[in-house]
Amino acid sequence: MFYIGIFFQYVSQYMKTRLEYRSDFIVEILSDLFNQTVNLVFILVVFGHTQFLNGWNRDEIIFIYGFFLIPYALFSAFFNIWDFNDRYIVKGEMDRILTRPIHSLFQVVIERMELESLFGLVTGFIIIFYAGANLGLELAWYDPILFVLFAIGGALAYASVFIVIASVGFWSDSKTSIMPMMYNIGNYGRYPVDIYNKVIRFMLTWVLPFAFVGVYPASYFLGKEEWYIFSFLTPVVGLVFFTVSVMIWNQGIKKYRGAGN
Amino acid sequence: MSNAIEVKGLRKEFKSYSSRSGLKGAFRDLLTRNYKIVPAVNDISFTVKQGEMVAYIGENGAGKSTTIKMLTGILTPTSGEIVVNGMNPHREREKFTRTIGVVFGQRSQLWWDIAVQESFRLLKKVYKVSDEQYNEHMNHVIKTLDIEPLLDKPVRKLSLGQRMRCELAAALIHNPPLLFLDEPTIGLDVLVKLKIREFLKEINEKYNTTILLTTHDLGDIEALCERVVMLDSGEIIYDGELQSLKENWGEDKEVHFQFVKPVQQAELEALPLSFPVIWEYDEKNHTYLAVIKDEGDHISQLISIVVTSFPIKDVKIHETSIEEIVRNIYETGTV
Ligand SMILES: Nc1ncnc2c1ncn2[C@@H]1O[C@H](COP(=O)(O)OP(=O)(O)O)[C@@H](O)[C@H]1O
Ligand SMILES: [Mg+2]
Repeated sequence: MFYIGIFFQYVSQYMKTRLEYRSDFIVEILSDLFNQTVNLVFILVVFGHTQFLNGWNRDEIIFIYGFFLIPYALFSAFFNIWDFNDRYIVKGEMDRILTRPIHSLFQVVIERMELESLFGLVTGFIIIFYAGANLGLELAWYDPILFVLFAIGGALAYASVFIVIASVGFWSDSKTSIMPMMYNIGNYGRYPVDIYNKVIRFMLTWVLPFAFVGVYPASYFLGKEEWYIFSFLTPVVGLVFFTVSVMIWNQGIKKYRGAGN
Repeated sequence: MSNAIEVKGLRKEFKSYSSRSGLKGAFRDLLTRNYKIVPAVNDISFTVKQGEMVAYIGENGAGKSTTIKMLTGILTPTSGEIVVNGMNPHREREKFTRTIGVVFGQRSQLWWDIAVQESFRLLKKVYKVSDEQYNEHMNHVIKTLDIEPLLDKPVRKLSLGQRMRCELAAALIHNPPLLFLDEPTIGLDVLVKLKIREFLKEINEKYNTTILLTTHDLGDIEALCERVVMLDSGEIIYDGELQSLKENWGEDKEVHFQFVKPVQQAELEALPLSFPVIWEYDEKNHTYLAVIKDEGDHISQLISIVVTSFPIKDVKIHETSIEEIVRNIYETGTV
């Protein structure tokens, strides 16, 4: 309860600050939209001529991309902590975080959130409905509930990878290029995993669970029964990976060195 | 009276890494690390009673900030025991931080981009302070620190002195029984320093707030603290009254005279004084420097006899700084 209250306090502060710099805010939303359009055009161009790719047709691939945008938007809004190492460890901002009576990761999340990323939800839904209509998909009454569970599961799976990478900074103060690389790998989750070889598929499922952000959960709504087991694992995988990542974070906090002078 | 701080055999070692480059290097650093071990705080023990104001001093790099970071739960000690406000700061961090206030002079505790009052409002929620408590306590704090006109400005637009006063107010929102101040007066002008000292004295008297502060300003200590804990290379080399520290180690006063007309050193040495004075000529500034013991009214005797004998342009009294006291102690061994 306390955490929910604090969350909304920060959200309202965030809105206030953002509205003061309205033009930045709009530019950011526009550049997000632009990014997503570029990605979509890419998919249309690549898959425009091929009717089928490993048994997936064009609209199914577009649907997966649309689905991917939903957990990705949630992730970007709250776990966009790619600059954690520089900002909080090297510059010692973590000192401030650690003198406050709230869980440190939660504080970092609410300080760094970028709510405009939530506009990705709108783009995602437009694409999902467009592709879904082309495919003639039908909704059961419980599908919206599953959709929410799968989307949150996917976002948590995505977030856990970045939390672990951020935590590495507690142990090692060497600069790494892991963060940007992960953003690239994350994108693999929006294509059907069976187009990759076995090793990559295994990696994207059990090591860096990005397949649970796009293909696996989307497969359920596309009626791909051979993937159902993975679809339904999405919330579980999300929760397990997230819990483990928070445990790693909590261990990392004990190793925090401060910024020195 | 219970103890606010109890520290036994506290130690913090830093590993200073030589890190490898690249992604592969980063992973190798995770497994095998090349490092040297440097003890920043070296098995120290002390206690602070509730309501005490203690100055924690020492040269740069002595380990003051590291100690404070362990006492506030920011850093995990390498070894040793810490009980602060009856808790282990690091293990019970979230509960513990409700009972302390922290100010780092070198680093802002406030949010950089938002107005001071918005910071206060968020902190009020974070520390679950009720409206009544807030109004009763903070209105007074805001008035005493004279920060009313700053409240609607973002922190990044404040001067250092303005920011420090706001930081201090922010650290007190939940009216903690224990306050840690790491160089709160560094770089501040005299008036702001005075205001902050006065304020700290007041909250100590009013709420019996325990204060542990580090400073390089002897004035801060004289105004606030009876007790001094002195650290050198991570070890406590003095823990006791400020008065006896000064008597033993800072007793020499230097008085600088600048004369209107040239004066011979022999003339000065011939002045009839009842106590020993060492005269030195400062070539660079063309001033004379008298070194005497700070006892009784020796300084005023010295100044009055010099002033009546030779016309002077300027007099300065130079007090031994903490750094000089520390160096004295360091050079002559332990206290
Ligand atoms: N994060 C850190 N990593 C490595 N060494 C550190 C770190 N923080 C402090 N040190 C070292 O520990 C010693 C004590 O530092 P510090 O506690 O900041 O001293 P002080 O506050 O008394 O000036 C110094 O030698 C400093 O270089
Ligand atoms: Mg320091």
